[in-house]
Amino acid sequence: MTTPASQVVETPPHDAAEPHLGFVRRYIFSTDHKIIGIQYMLTGLVMAIAGALLATLIRLQLGWPTHQWQWLALLLPKGMPGGVMTPEFYLAVVTMHGTIMVFFFISYVLVSGFGNFLVPLQIGARDMAFPFLNMLSYWIALLSALVMLASFFVEGGAAAAGWTAYPPLSAVWSAVPGSQLGQTVWLLSMALFIVSFTMSSLNFVATVFSLRAPGMSMWRMSLTVWSYFISSILGLLAFPALTAAAVMLLLDRHLGTSFFLPSGLVVANRLLPNQGGSPLLWQHLFWFLGHPEVYVLILPALGVACDILPTFTRKPIFGYRIQVWCLIAVGVLSMIVWGHHMFVSGMSPFSGEYFSLVTLTITVPMTIFGVNMLASLSGGRLLLRTPMLFALGVIALFGSGGFGGLFLGNATANMQLHDTYFVVGHFHLMIGGVTMLGTFGAIYFWFPKMFGRMMSERLGKVHFWFTFVPFFTLFFMQHFLGLQGMLRRYYAFTSYDFLKRTQGQNVVISLLAMVLVAGQLVFLANFVWSLLKGRVAAANPWQATTLEWTVASPPPHGNFGAALPDVHRWSYEYGVDDVEGDFAAQSVPPERVPVTA
Amino acid sequence: MDNVIAFDTARVGRADDEIDRHEDVVRLGLWIFLATVTMLFAAFTSAYIVRRSGTDWRPIALPSVLWLNTLVLAASSLALEVARWSGTGSRWRAASVAFAAAIALGFAFLGGQVLAWRQLMAVGLYAPASPHSSFFYMLTAVHGLHVIAALAVLAWGAVRTWTGAGRRDLRQWTGLVGICRTFWHFLGGVWIYLFVLLSIY
Repeated sequence: MTTPASQVVETPPHDAAEPHLGFVRRYIFSTDHKIIGIQYMLTGLVMAIAGALLATLIRLQLGWPTHQWQWLALLLPKGMPGGVMTPEFYLAVVTMHGTIMVFFFISYVLVSGFGNFLVPLQIGARDMAFPFLNMLSYWIALLSALVMLASFFVEGGAAAAGWTAYPPLSAVWSAVPGSQLGQTVWLLSMALFIVSFTMSSLNFVATVFSLRAPGMSMWRMSLTVWSYFISSILGLLAFPALTAAAVMLLLDRHLGTSFFLPSGLVVANRLLPNQGGSPLLWQHLFWFLGHPEVYVLILPALGVACDILPTFTRKPIFGYRIQVWCLIAVGVLSMIVWGHHMFVSGMSPFSGEYFSLVTLTITVPMTIFGVNMLASLSGGRLLLRTPMLFALGVIALFGSGGFGGLFLGNATANMQLHDTYFVVGHFHLMIGGVTMLGTFGAIYFWFPKMFGRMMSERLGKVHFWFTFVPFFTLFFMQHFLGLQGMLRRYYAFTSYDFLKRTQGQNVVISLLAMVLVAGQLVFLANFVWSLLKGRVAAANPWQATTLEWTVASPPPHGNFGAALPDVHRWSYEYGVDDVEGDFAAQSVPPERVPVTA
Repeated sequence: MDNVIAFDTARVGRADDEIDRHEDVVRLGLWIFLATVTMLFAAFTSAYIVRRSGTDWRPIALPSVLWLNTLVLAASSLALEVARWSGTGSRWRAASVAFAAAIALGFAFLGGQVLAWRQLMAVGLYAPASPHSSFFYMLTAVHGLHVIAALAVLAWGAVRTWTGAGRRDLRQWTGLVGICRTFWHFLGGVWIYLFVLLSIY
């Protein structure tokens, strides 16, 4: 798969302690954080393909609601009889698209994948704190993904209650076909996901706390590591609320309890026996997880971008300590703002006022963070290599998506915008776009370290433009669909007179979505081609400063030869004079290059 | 992990330090885990408070065997303390017996909880009977699952005690018993909290 590291740069001779493991222990049931990171990444990319295919189906339906896609009727005889999607299937597709992209693409590739690969390398550790737990976490994650995919094939089809799984739709077996076995399988898959994610987050926090190399103080860690650290703490504290809610929902579904089911509910012309439950209770518990979860995903994208920017401007990140404090502040605030997803649920105006206030407070640290990223560009020499393009894309989407958030965080405006395409556009720019561009930036940046080969720069740039332009345009347009009153989860605009004039926009959005999906084929081709034929990478092809670049590409088992590195400086020592160039790796001693921070 | 430690001994010098460090990491991991467990029961508590305000809340009479179960669990925690105390005094036979007693009492507690379920079922109070009974079954089950996990950790500690880990290295043994104690006393505390919540609120 890759060229042996010894051909690339000189590596220290094999340490006597390095175990000689067979293929299975080394690449399949491996406890090496680098292999586990790559396993997560590949699993997530496969899930992304599934998610993208579902997105294509959604856009075919929304762009051309009455068209008969005969070839799709052959593939999906139940969901699209005669080539036209049934409303029930549409809901299942939307649900699974959201679930897969949030939990199985971004979480696996960016959070667990790159988190596993980068955190030990960047803090100068040989592995995670609990390598076996780490392996277990990956295999449970894989099982969770397979269970989720399997839900398409159970009776009634996949879950159809949205990635938020609001009851009663998710609680009552007879509500829609997707509320049957598919919803139970969805909940079981989520339970596995939570177990796996908890193990993995626990590992990150313990690793950062206890396995930093000598001299690697918290204030010398890269923003990438900081972002994984904060996002792991958030995951650990927020996910239990969903666990509790999922247990109660399972009991409501299978044991006849009434945690979430109110009195007097009539479904399919039948009065349900349940009494006194509260559907809003689910919403509170779900969003107590759900809101921190978006930060769990977006913080690593921002952290990664903050490490790519200095490398391609050849100057330190602007306001490093402020960035860290912003990450911490956002982490704390993200735990107390969940109610802004529920402004129209009939909450007390005082609660609404509170949730508006704290939500808009989040814009303060986030704006500082974004402006600091912009300031990092100022006065720098911009080297527009592929990872840099994606990092700049992160800034662009973060700024414009965040701007929409100002409207949504305001309870008064939210009443109008709630459940419209304004929301769809907003969260796709943020949790869809910032994270996706951050993920791609990370792949282009660390691919040489992972596999010992460079990705094609030319294909990378083509991929960037075919991703950024359609993505930004189509989700920007969706904000305006929302302002015109088009609601989320509507199966077709043709059923409503006032939405008929949106047809042109919907067709354009669908065409852009097709371009976007087609653009990803360039990425897949680049990925596979570079893996096999890419230019062999040096240890430090980008002339970057963090510790992973001081070892061979790919790094050997145990990462750092016989002795751990001594860390003498922060992660952003650029613009200095050294024999190797205008940068100093964190392990370069102060006698050679003076320490600035 | 052993390989990783082997890498470092040359640098740090003394293997003892590495073992201590490993113990510290495991203890840290345990506390992080307990933080998530705390959040889990906090989430259940908030659901309990919300649901308690519903008009259909009809309290059920909790089985009196729960008092006995509470005493059994407390006795189990006490036995674990005796095990540690005996071990630090190098009375290894007593330590092994006390460890076994702690585990046996843990299983007795689980049996008692099942008995409480059966008593409720005998009078026709199943999970859907009232939100109170729904919470009773659910919270005892979730707590019970954690107890089973903790019993596995205790069994690991007991086996290490029987096979003479403490005789070989007392400091390391104290560390691993510390992990057992933290987990086990924590779950004892959670049970008392749940019992109070279910009884008086």
